[in-house]
Amino acid sequence: MADGKSLSLFKDKPIKVLLAKPGIDGHDRGMFVLAKAFRDAGMDVLYAGLLPTPEEVIDTAVNEDVDVIALSLLNGAHLTVFKKVSDLLKARKIDDIAVVGGGTIPDGDKIKLEKMGISGNYGPGTPLATIIAHVTQRAADARRKKLADR
Amino acid sequence: MSRLNIDGLAKGIIAGDIPSISRGISIVEDHSQNYASSELMKKIYDRTGRIHIIGVTGPPGVGKSSLIGMLAAEMSKRKQKTSIIAVDASSPFTGGTLLGNRIRMQDSINQNSIFMRSLASRGFKGGLSSAALSTIKILDAAGYESVIVETVGSGQADIDIMKIAHTILVLHAPGLGDIVQSIKAGIMEIGDLFVVNKIDRQEAFLAIKDIEDSLAMLPSGTWTKKVIGVNSLTGEHVGELMDEITRHREYYFKNRPDDEGIREMSIYIEDEMRRIINERSRQKGDLHREMKKLMSRGIDPFNGALKIVDKIIGTEV
Ligand SMILES: Nc1nc2c(ncn2[C@@H]2O[C@H](COP(=O)(O)OP(=O)(O)OP(=O)(O)O)[C@@H](O)[C@H]2O)c(=O)[nH]1
Ligand SMILES: [Mg+2]
Repeated sequence: MADGKSLSLFKDKPIKVLLAKPGIDGHDRGMFVLAKAFRDAGMDVLYAGLLPTPEEVIDTAVNEDVDVIALSLLNGAHLTVFKKVSDLLKARKIDDIAVVGGGTIPDGDKIKLEKMGISGNYGPGTPLATIIAHVTQRAADARRKKLADR
Repeated sequence: MSRLNIDGLAKGIIAGDIPSISRGISIVEDHSQNYASSELMKKIYDRTGRIHIIGVTGPPGVGKSSLIGMLAAEMSKRKQKTSIIAVDASSPFTGGTLLGNRIRMQDSINQNSIFMRSLASRGFKGGLSSAALSTIKILDAAGYESVIVETVGSGQADIDIMKIAHTILVLHAPGLGDIVQSIKAGIMEIGDLFVVNKIDRQEAFLAIKDIEDSLAMLPSGTWTKKVIGVNSLTGEHVGELMDEITRHREYYFKNRPDDEGIREMSIYIEDEMRRIINERSRQKGDLHREMKKLMSRGIDPFNGALKIVDKIIGTEV
């Protein structure tokens, strides 16, 4: 869970997370369960809507200045779609929004995703507490960068 | 804590750079960054004073977000640069917030590239009025001609936001409770334009008539309050509503009150005091135990409260 330092980081502005299912995947119930779990963990939660394009995901993330984008997919198109999101962030020089992934992801792909900076990549059945702890940790890194002098 | 480059940020905001605007809002939302906020406000102040503030209020589910999406699309069609702020209610139990307003206007935001920001109400903690007001200042400095503000329809921050809005839209819809209720709540007085949404529903025309009748009972001013029926899913009559908003904008700016700054300052003062008192009472540790102790000593609740309040805001900080 969050250490004392990151708790004070979020004291007056909770972790803000954007849930998104970009690309071709209409399945929504899992998203709703996650959204509620994040809210109950004290976070501010946004949902990018049905079938947003990677560009729309980034636009929303920037407008809302979220700490974390949580991407999820069930249909196996992770590498292409997640990579697009990660590439767009790099192209726009955004390094203070973290990206985490989830879905049914083969182990081989997980390594590739990690290399793109997309961490977590939890499969179905992962305890919510594990996901929340991971998001909190990535959010703390992102928030520290946001608050750094540059 | 690290310092942010406020100078660069202010320049970015004034140039209309979206990431700068967005980061600026994050700072004014975060009260642990009050020093940065104060520097930012100093730097953008002389660029403010032009934005038209449109407040949208009404009961839950009446269609505020849907209508705002349609209005924003209409403004884009008219080549007006608009922006949106929407307040979502935080959970009183966990402090977390589902920022759900955005999803109802997402299509319009995407299609018209509109800047939209969600704000969490933060409940009893306070701080929303100040965050919302500073957010409007940032959008003003960034050159937006207008900002549409959706409120949650209750609470102190709502009242505050309506106090600083130039044009207030009050929404109703058939099947959402008695209009007499809102008349009692004083909502007829604060509204500049009345909207009956969901005119695709049968009873909408009765609602329009009810509001017209109760408006007729108000003392007449220099601005004649109108009722307009719209459908926020199809956009029907949204153009007419936009015409009325434009008319009211002209009316407001022609008769602009000279105490706007004072009103804004009052809101900041009250909000800041509420927030600080809440924070201090949390720092004072277990007040509940203290209260129990007082009660067990046979002190009456009123005098007990005086002791607790003295402990929170007494001179020994
Ligand atoms: N039939 C009909 N439904 C509408 C209309 N406008 C909005 N709705 C529906 O009403 C519901 C609530 O719409 P929102 O725009 O979320 O209403 P809101 O006032 O912003 O709701 P809260 O923010 O939760 O208070 C949604 O299911 C909309 O699709 C309309 O003109 N006609
Ligand atoms: Mg809404």
